[in-house]
Amino acid sequence: MSALLLMAPALLLLLAVFVWPLLDYAWLSLQAQSVFTGLEAVPVGTLNWQRLLVDGRFWQDAWQTLRFAAVSVGLELVAGLAIALLLHQRWRGRGVVRSLALLPWALPTTVMALGWRWIFNDPYGPINGLLQLLGLATLPFLAAPELAWLATVVADVWKTTPFVALLLLAGLQMIPGDLYEAFALEGGTPWQGLWRITVPLLRPYIFIVLLFRLAQALGVFDLIAVLTGGGPASSTESLAVYAYLNAMRFLDFGYSATVMLGMFLLLLAGAGGLLLWRRQTEVRA
Amino acid sequence: MRVSTRAGLVALLLLWSLGPMLWQLYTSMRTPEALLAGAGGLASGWTLANYGAVLGGDPPFWRYLLNSTVVGALSTLLTLALAIPCAYALSRRGGLLRLLVGGGLLAAAVFPYVLLFLALLQVARQLGLANNLLALCLPYAGLQLPLAVLLLQAAFAELPPELEESAVLEGFSLWQRLRWILLPLMGPAVVSTGLLVFLFSWNEFPIALTWISRSELLTLAPAMARIAGSSVYTVPYGAFAAATVLGSVPLLALLLLFQRQIVAGLTQGAIKG
Repeated sequence: MSALLLMAPALLLLLAVFVWPLLDYAWLSLQAQSVFTGLEAVPVGTLNWQRLLVDGRFWQDAWQTLRFAAVSVGLELVAGLAIALLLHQRWRGRGVVRSLALLPWALPTTVMALGWRWIFNDPYGPINGLLQLLGLATLPFLAAPELAWLATVVADVWKTTPFVALLLLAGLQMIPGDLYEAFALEGGTPWQGLWRITVPLLRPYIFIVLLFRLAQALGVFDLIAVLTGGGPASSTESLAVYAYLNAMRFLDFGYSATVMLGMFLLLLAGAGGLLLWRRQTEVRA
Repeated sequence: MRVSTRAGLVALLLLWSLGPMLWQLYTSMRTPEALLAGAGGLASGWTLANYGAVLGGDPPFWRYLLNSTVVGALSTLLTLALAIPCAYALSRRGGLLRLLVGGGLLAAAVFPYVLLFLALLQVARQLGLANNLLALCLPYAGLQLPLAVLLLQAAFAELPPELEESAVLEGFSLWQRLRWILLPLMGPAVVSTGLLVFLFSWNEFPIALTWISRSELLTLAPAMARIAGSSVYTVPYGAFAAATVLGSVPLLALLLLFQRQIVAGLTQGAIKG
């Protein structure tokens, strides 16, 4: 049996799930299909795209999504490396600690987003309880834009740092121990070793983490939909949430498709930039 | 690192990882009055009524867990059934085809799939698949195929080719070689892959949210969102917390039982992919 025949069922489903939607959006983004057209598709040329270019909310959300992804993934990288270094050392019980630390990653995002909503509750949540105990005023975590944004970052870092730590731990296990011994013999401190040996040799793993996590964080939906709903005043809204609202709440399918394609193009540009950066750093290394 | 420093850091890590969930557990067993009164008075105010409310709801909470389990199990089987032949063929091929398909799979594996929900919803409506729990397996299998094929392909590539060559000489057909020679050696990779697919399907939100509207068919993730948006469960959250605890327990069990396989799948997936 030929290879193509074995691959055909999988490839067909892949085309249906990944390629068809993008083609569909390309067509839909050139149509008006909303409550104003009775949900019928009416060709409108590039009207949706013109609207996208001047849609303040789209660009605002693009910036918010980027800021969310950059800060969350940055924090996850630092915390993940620290946790990986801790788990890389030999001590009793680290296997158990490793699986317990992985739990936040395994739970459904919507489940713990609901949990975080209670933790950030004003005034009955535990954080505000602690603030009151210290004699401080409570903070309206989910009602003030900056605090709500902080809450989404905290919940995301909590959930995905275990994934980052695990990948970096796998990378640490690939670094031969004698490198550190030789470095110590030459008088290098552990801190210098971290920067001169660990981080450079982890670079391929850091790249993989960045690729996976940035793509996921830029597409953030579940967490924001349940934790803040994009509010207050759409200050935590991500592009994916905006696209969802356009389709399911404003029933503007043509524009929703345009928003999603616009987001896809931005992602493509970002991925291109990341690959270029990787090639340049590889040439230098 | 000094032992006491390390113990402190480990304690901090556990507090950070488990604290939010332990707080849900605590909240779920407190009466509304005790939660509103804040700290202090741990002697009284304990109750299991929150669990009663969630389990006695309409539909009862276990229904969501059952739905998620059914969808997760079927999606896993479907994904593996499609991915294994594809991964095998890919691993036995060199050159352009492998490069092209491999690159496409990697791009699809990192693609934020939430972008696909609208087109998939339209397809579901046209085919009459909305509000069909089992139909969710189709997009789930499609979305997880890239990762599954990459993982299994790497595992197939690690098997020595002599193994199959001698089986060919013995007159084994392709199906027999796969079934009796290759797959038995792929056990760990198949289990790791299956667990990752199951976890994804169990946790998936946007597609389940848009495909399913009848409450008795909801899977766990959209059910939680619906609970979050409803006023049936009022502040202060005792029932919310009971729901989060009930929604977490099956995954906690899965993680503790299969942590080695899950970790292997995760790291292999990222590194080999």
